[in-house]
Amino acid sequence: MVRALGWISAAALAVGLVMAFGVAPREVTQGNVQRIMYVHPPLAWVAYLAFGLVAGASIVYLVRRRPAADRLAHASAEVGVLFTGLAIATGSIWGKPTWGTWWTWDARLTSVAILFVMYLGYLLLRGTVEDRERAARYCAVLGIVAALDMPLVHFSVYWWRTLHQPPSLMKPGGFSGSAAILWPLLVNLAAFTILFAYLVAKRVRLLRAETEALA
Amino acid sequence: MPDNWTFVAVAYGLTGLVLGLYWRHLVRKEKELRQIKPSRSVTGVAEHNHEPSRTGHPRPKQDAKSSLQQ
Repeated sequence: MVRALGWISAAALAVGLVMAFGVAPREVTQGNVQRIMYVHPPLAWVAYLAFGLVAGASIVYLVRRRPAADRLAHASAEVGVLFTGLAIATGSIWGKPTWGTWWTWDARLTSVAILFVMYLGYLLLRGTVEDRERAARYCAVLGIVAALDMPLVHFSVYWWRTLHQPPSLMKPGGFSGSAAILWPLLVNLAAFTILFAYLVAKRVRLLRAETEALA
Repeated sequence: MPDNWTFVAVAYGLTGLVLGLYWRHLVRKEKELRQIKPSRSVTGVAEHNHEPSRTGHPRPKQDAKSSLQQ
């Protein structure tokens, strides 16, 4: 099942790549550098998804004390940190030619950086507390508290004046661009979501095997 | 505006590289675990494996912490 998910994600990513470079047109104002859009928002979307899953699984763990929920939260946080880091990096690479700077302390970028650091702390906490049950409990609380930053990240572009543009898809009224740009973006969003599911499933399986090996 | 293909290549390249390395890390960890598992008996007590490891490194002693326990 996990292996099949891996092949599906590889195929979806290949299709996404073809759509981004072969189907999507060259954008009029930004030129070809706008093609970073087919990788940057999907990475950010997966980061939202990952941390939402961490919060959900953490609540389930605190209520029912199921180790499976803790494993899902752990795996999702790890993959989420990876995707957030990449979203920050690709955003920075896109920012240099379009904004003229790699980084600026505006509300969107700062709130994302805080989110990244909080979940990095989550992973560090897992590594430092030796008692597994206690580590799971502490991390569940941190996973829920850190998720409170997500609405701040998303709405920061509306609440404050930022250099970062408002969301392209997740906004009232939906996407306003052409279908030639929308479809490659949607395909890449789906491809990265499948990849996320694959990596989390693989990590969860590994965490279960680790627990069994140490028992 | 110039096309800035270098920035596009770096963004896609970095994403591919990091995700690829993470995937490889998971695969390696999985292999490592598979090597540990056969050395345990059905009762869950580790038995000493006299065969050399596939990597050529000495196998950890029974009471020593494995890399997973660290």
